[in-house]
Amino acid sequence: MSEAVEAAVAVPAILAEVKPAVLPRAVLVENNRSFAWISDKICGIIEGPTPRWWWICFGVASFIASFTVAGLIYLVGTGVGVWGHRSPINWGWPIVNFVFWIGIGHAGTLISAILCLLRQKWRTSINRAAEAMTIFAVVCAGIFPLFHVGRVWFAWYLFPLPNSNGIWQNFRSPLEWDVFAVSTYGTVSVLFWYVGMIPDLGLLRDRFTAAGKRVRAFLYGLFAMGWRGSNRHWSNYEMAYLILAGIATPLVLSVHTIVSFDFAVSLIPGWHTTIFPPYFVAGAIYSGFGMVLTLVLPLRAVFKLEDLITQHHIDNMCKIALATGSMVGYAYMMEFFIAWYGANPNEGFTFINRAFGPYAWAYWTMVTCNVIVPQFFWFKGVRRNIAFVWILSLLVNVGMWMERFVIICTSLTRDFLPSSWGYLSPTVVDIFTFFGTFGVFGTLFLLFIRFLPMMPMAEIKAVTPQADAHHGHH
Amino acid sequence: MTSRLSIPGSAAAAGSPAPNAGVALGVGLAGTALTAAGFFVSDPRRVALSWLVAVGYWTMIVVAMLMLVLIHHIFDASWGVIIRRQYEHWLAALKWLFLLFLPLLAISAYLRPGLIWLWMNPGSLLPGTHETVGEDILYFKKAGYLNVGFFTLRLVLFFGIWIWLAYVVRRNSFRQDADGDLKWTRSNRCWAAAGLPLSGFAITFASIDWFKSLDYHWFSTIYGVYFFATGMRGALAIGVLLMLWLHRRGDYRGILNRNHLHSIGQLMLTFTVFWAYIAFSQYFLIWNANVPEETFYFNLREYGDWYWVGMSLLFLYFAFPFCYLLSYRHKVEPHWARFIAWWILVMLFVDICFNTLPAARDAAGHPHPFFSLLMGWHFTALAGVGGICVWAYLRSFSTTKLLPIRDPRIAECLSYQEASAE
Amino acid sequence: MSEKSYGLIAMFDTPADIMQAAEAVRDAGYKSWDVITPFPIHGMDRAMGVRRSLVPRISLAGGIIGFVTGMGLIWWSGAWNFKLVVGGKPLFSPLFAFPISYELTILFTAFATILGMFLLNRLPMHYHAVMKQAHFQRAMDDRFFVVIEARDPRYDRAATEALLARLGGREIEELED
Repeated sequence: MSEAVEAAVAVPAILAEVKPAVLPRAVLVENNRSFAWISDKICGIIEGPTPRWWWICFGVASFIASFTVAGLIYLVGTGVGVWGHRSPINWGWPIVNFVFWIGIGHAGTLISAILCLLRQKWRTSINRAAEAMTIFAVVCAGIFPLFHVGRVWFAWYLFPLPNSNGIWQNFRSPLEWDVFAVSTYGTVSVLFWYVGMIPDLGLLRDRFTAAGKRVRAFLYGLFAMGWRGSNRHWSNYEMAYLILAGIATPLVLSVHTIVSFDFAVSLIPGWHTTIFPPYFVAGAIYSGFGMVLTLVLPLRAVFKLEDLITQHHIDNMCKIALATGSMVGYAYMMEFFIAWYGANPNEGFTFINRAFGPYAWAYWTMVTCNVIVPQFFWFKGVRRNIAFVWILSLLVNVGMWMERFVIICTSLTRDFLPSSWGYLSPTVVDIFTFFGTFGVFGTLFLLFIRFLPMMPMAEIKAVTPQADAHHGHH
Repeated sequence: MTSRLSIPGSAAAAGSPAPNAGVALGVGLAGTALTAAGFFVSDPRRVALSWLVAVGYWTMIVVAMLMLVLIHHIFDASWGVIIRRQYEHWLAALKWLFLLFLPLLAISAYLRPGLIWLWMNPGSLLPGTHETVGEDILYFKKAGYLNVGFFTLRLVLFFGIWIWLAYVVRRNSFRQDADGDLKWTRSNRCWAAAGLPLSGFAITFASIDWFKSLDYHWFSTIYGVYFFATGMRGALAIGVLLMLWLHRRGDYRGILNRNHLHSIGQLMLTFTVFWAYIAFSQYFLIWNANVPEETFYFNLREYGDWYWVGMSLLFLYFAFPFCYLLSYRHKVEPHWARFIAWWILVMLFVDICFNTLPAARDAAGHPHPFFSLLMGWHFTALAGVGGICVWAYLRSFSTTKLLPIRDPRIAECLSYQEASAE
Repeated sequence: MSEKSYGLIAMFDTPADIMQAAEAVRDAGYKSWDVITPFPIHGMDRAMGVRRSLVPRISLAGGIIGFVTGMGLIWWSGAWNFKLVVGGKPLFSPLFAFPISYELTILFTAFATILGMFLLNRLPMHYHAVMKQAHFQRAMDDRFFVVIEARDPRYDRAATEALLARLGGREIEELED
């Protein structure tokens, strides 16, 4: 389109009357920090000696992770019967855990990709840590479908690879769609995270070179791919980043949609309802933001990152949790209303059973944590109380685990025929394997914050006011 | 440095007054009168459904405009300031839409009970059967919700919520032009936060009451979200048309730039995908489980020419706009943008028809075809309701400044740059 | 080591400085030159006269290949190679084939985008002349550089150096190839 200036165009008179009220936008990096300060702050974490608290946390996390390792070895050695699955409840803790962890991962992609498309600059302080959270959450999630097959060495049967069995995978099954969805999600998340890190790895390479640490300079330099900050490179890089953000957005929506299809394409009462896809996505984002808050608030305190992760960032994260929690609440109400409206006796019974049956304890925990807890975030006073926000963030995830548990257990234990009713009792192996995944997650995350730049320095610098070429002072 | 649009032609002076709102009123009254005549001379049920389609079409669009205004406030967005004032003017149509809905209630509840919504009359025959509503256990189970009194109460409640929210955001925005006080912005934000869930519930239950209960055997939990999605597409399309209209008149010269059009175009693309996602979810889950109590709804919509209507929604309401809106040029150049906006508005009408009209069935239980001479009443009804909405908009338009001149984000909006400018 | 010169490099302190410098170098008619920044500067592409990136086209190609692969695989395996009725569903339907095809579209788009970006940037390239600049570490940190290559037709050791100095560049160095 040409930018021809029209001849003698009268500038609209209204422009002369424009006098905006003054309402400054929140500052993203407080105290007017320089670029060098930002680099030093974040690289300092990697360059400095390992703090003692890190070793203690690492030890504890590894110990807890060993529960998962032990549980899985026992499972593979003995058989899937060591888990609590029994007829009629053929899906138990493992699928709850799988959906739980995948859901947590979604917030990372939302922060990276969706907030990037919405041009929300405040995402820059938290997106690297959130993306790392996504990847580690996908690792924890993937453990369950992988090992639930029992004979793990046949897991490759799930992929359409040449084999001598003469049969294809069942592409009509949502579980097969999950294979593709979660694999794609893991791959794209890792790629997105890595590509985002390239400029920062270049910076670390140069800092280590300047400091004379050759081994570390070599390692970081290897992965930096020779990045040298050329603007011609930035041009392609920014476009690639935007495209990755653009496809990661529908990806994250589709992954949890496909996970919801595991349930919704069936005809089980309580599962077969059309609102599942967006409801699951909203719930996933809700739980993910809970986990982001759980991770980021302590990091901010320990590493003194208050200038980079400001109250504005925390406010926004709380508000997103509030919004998505409210969407989950909306979905609960719609399910309940339509169960009544549709007048299907099985569906109606399922909902009464959820609230007053043997799993009522789980149901009311879920409602408290998913509907009532986020309402606290309406209040500015609450959002400013970091300790309270942190506690609420833990409850968010308790609630979301309970939600998947309620969905699965209430529908399977009390389905069409009373003669086939049952109750799920998790075994010790179930419990230890699940809680161990928190250790796996923690271990990976601790390694991440020790060795990799936990904030995207280049992106943060780009959103400071000094980065604007038309900035006031020269 | 903003990139100016150059549009040859009209050298209309900036800030010229709105065109004669009387024309719109004339069209509106004529359409209404014609449709009313049609009710008496033609098939009353189908003409009444045409009126329902028209009122539903315009209500979903105007309510979506309300949602966009609320979302703009809650995000503290800047580029949207350019269209927000125009949406606020459109909200003046809500009270008229309420009045225009009332004939439907009067007809179906009192004058010819059960004519539109079968359940309003226990003696109505269920289509294709010899059973009446009063004998239908499936009606009995939801009679506590589907009865005339509660329906009316809800109708008043939904419009009450929307009209109240519209009043508040309009008042705050217009008053801010005079004094530039930040309290109006804060009030908008608070009301937006409260208004979004309220409005969301209203859209959900309005669509259930007005459209889903036409075939009250059927149910779907995602139905309200579907109408939200389709309404948003219409609201954004009208937003594009308004911005280009104002630019052509000269009012927006030097104000509107390509980045604004690009941003609204990206929102249009997003909601195209979102609508498709919701429509796919609803259809696919029902297809896969294949339970007759749900699938009959879509089976009806595969009968006769309705199958082609459904295919047109897939290809012409999703696939074509999606591919079209991927291109940068198609979003920012005026004639391309105008084309797709009109396209979406036409297909939105087809979407509403697809959701509602198959409820009109013949004695064998088959839906009346989409293409027939009786289609003419759709157009008189759309013109009738639409003319009155446009009249309400134009009347409101001339009462305030063109832009919210004292809005805190207007300076950012006027100098709006893309984040990744070339 | 050959003594061939790669070009000249100059350091600038603020984004505003480098922006003006870039515009001046572009207007002076240079073609083989570059700007080095620690983060992407808004508007720099236009200041340098760089055209819109070609990455989107490569991404689109990847996406189309992914979608066709998904649909094709599912159609071929279910409706041609080994026809098996499962769950009463038709042998092939775009509906149940859609989730997997969609995921493959995204996966292949991601691969294409990243490969495309690396190819167009000619990365990895672990060695490059500019990295020899004494303070190159600042390039990744908080300083900005203009580098003009010797192979540019308008390059002239003295004149180009004078231009850079006039624009406010500091620490002007000649780089070895």
